[in-house]
Amino acid sequence: MERYLLPPEELSNEAIAESLTNTATEKIRNGLLQKKNLVYLELNGCSGNIISLLNGSNPDFEYTLNSMVNLRYCNSLMGAEGEQATEKLFNMLDEDFILAVEGAVALKNNGLYNVIGSFKGNPLTGLEAATMLGDKASHIFAVGACATHGGMSAAKPNPSESVGLQQVLQDKKMTKLPGCPVNPGWFLGTLAHLLLSGEPETDNLDRPLLFYSTLIHDRCPRRPFFDRGIFAEKLGDKTCLFKLGCRGPVTRTDCPTRKWNSGVNWPIGDDTPCIGCAQFGFPDAMAPFISFDTTRVVKDE
Amino acid sequence: MQTIGMIRLQMNTLITQARHDLYTLRMTTDETIKQLLIQRLWDTLSSIHFLNELLANQASMTMPMYQHPNGLIPNMVQTQIPPITPTPESPMVANAIQLTIEELAQYDGKNGRAAYVAVDGIVYDVTNNRAWAAATHFGLTAGRDYTAEFASCHAGQQSLLATVPVVGRLV
Repeated sequence: MERYLLPPEELSNEAIAESLTNTATEKIRNGLLQKKNLVYLELNGCSGNIISLLNGSNPDFEYTLNSMVNLRYCNSLMGAEGEQATEKLFNMLDEDFILAVEGAVALKNNGLYNVIGSFKGNPLTGLEAATMLGDKASHIFAVGACATHGGMSAAKPNPSESVGLQQVLQDKKMTKLPGCPVNPGWFLGTLAHLLLSGEPETDNLDRPLLFYSTLIHDRCPRRPFFDRGIFAEKLGDKTCLFKLGCRGPVTRTDCPTRKWNSGVNWPIGDDTPCIGCAQFGFPDAMAPFISFDTTRVVKDE
Repeated sequence: MQTIGMIRLQMNTLITQARHDLYTLRMTTDETIKQLLIQRLWDTLSSIHFLNELLANQASMTMPMYQHPNGLIPNMVQTQIPPITPTPESPMVANAIQLTIEELAQYDGKNGRAAYVAVDGIVYDVTNNRAWAAATHFGLTAGRDYTAEFASCHAGQQSLLATVPVVGRLV
């Protein structure tokens, strides 16, 4: 007999992600599942995604990651440095591994606008690393806005000619996890799903439906204010932030329930509009982030 | 005082419904019904939240001493915005209005003005359209003709336009 689960907690995205992570960890511990190698590559970006991932909690990111995979390369977390680190990266080419990439790929001057290391005295560009490793990886995750569609790095005027990872690996299938930054739950949940039962079901933009299926607007606690036409006029107002330029109605994530910083709060909970960081085309397509001139009637414009 | 009574009544109805939904959820095995119930519970919760805010607002207006223990009488700045139920205007009546491209540019959604956009010669009102927060939509600003943009991004999605109130024609 199936045990009934009482909603809403147990059926929420965050609970599903947590149970996926726990099941994967448990299966690995019991020897039912083989640990895989993970290469975490940081390209043209701000390292914001790895910072966000480190903010995972109970269990923390490092523990969770190490109990699910062998983290073989990660600029920010590994002990090795310089050529030694790059050598570890090159050694991975002969092995089976999952590739996670954060940051965009800079194309200008054959990739020289983003050098991630050096090997035998020669600079290793992000472009080279992405194509070389992307070709061999068993699965690819594009993590964060820059890797999925260019994001901040590709924002106008895009001096480094940055593009999303898919553009340099056109015929490769990849799971895209947009967000600036990505939420630890989205990444760990997708990784656990991959280990347990293969790639999760995705939408037509390759985002896992598990986390990116519902509009923020449809789960927004301030939705009743929108439906009744009660709008905030300034930051700090407790009503619907639509007139200030809230991008919740065009952005699909589970932020209203999952929240950030281990569930402490989220932008709308702090009376500031959603800026659509998990929408393709962010930040240019989501600008302006805030507008005060929509509701206010100023005589002397 | 009457308003408070009505809000209370509505809140109680919602709570009864939520209790019933919870009970049904425990009993049902049908996944589809479960999902529907969860969705409804979520909506109910949002409505309760909203009504609670409204109630608190009413309480603070009727009992100013409650919020101001110093005994200072607050100036009534919290002017209540009456609830607006956006109803699409009948296209028949609205079609009478004709706008030139220059006139359309006035409706940019700024400074309290309405936000209009044109597609295929029809002018639509996107002031309260959820995808047009602050009268902007993926880098586009209101008050212009977006026939080409609509065709390139929403090809085969003509039905989208049916949900947007029509204002008139672009001449």
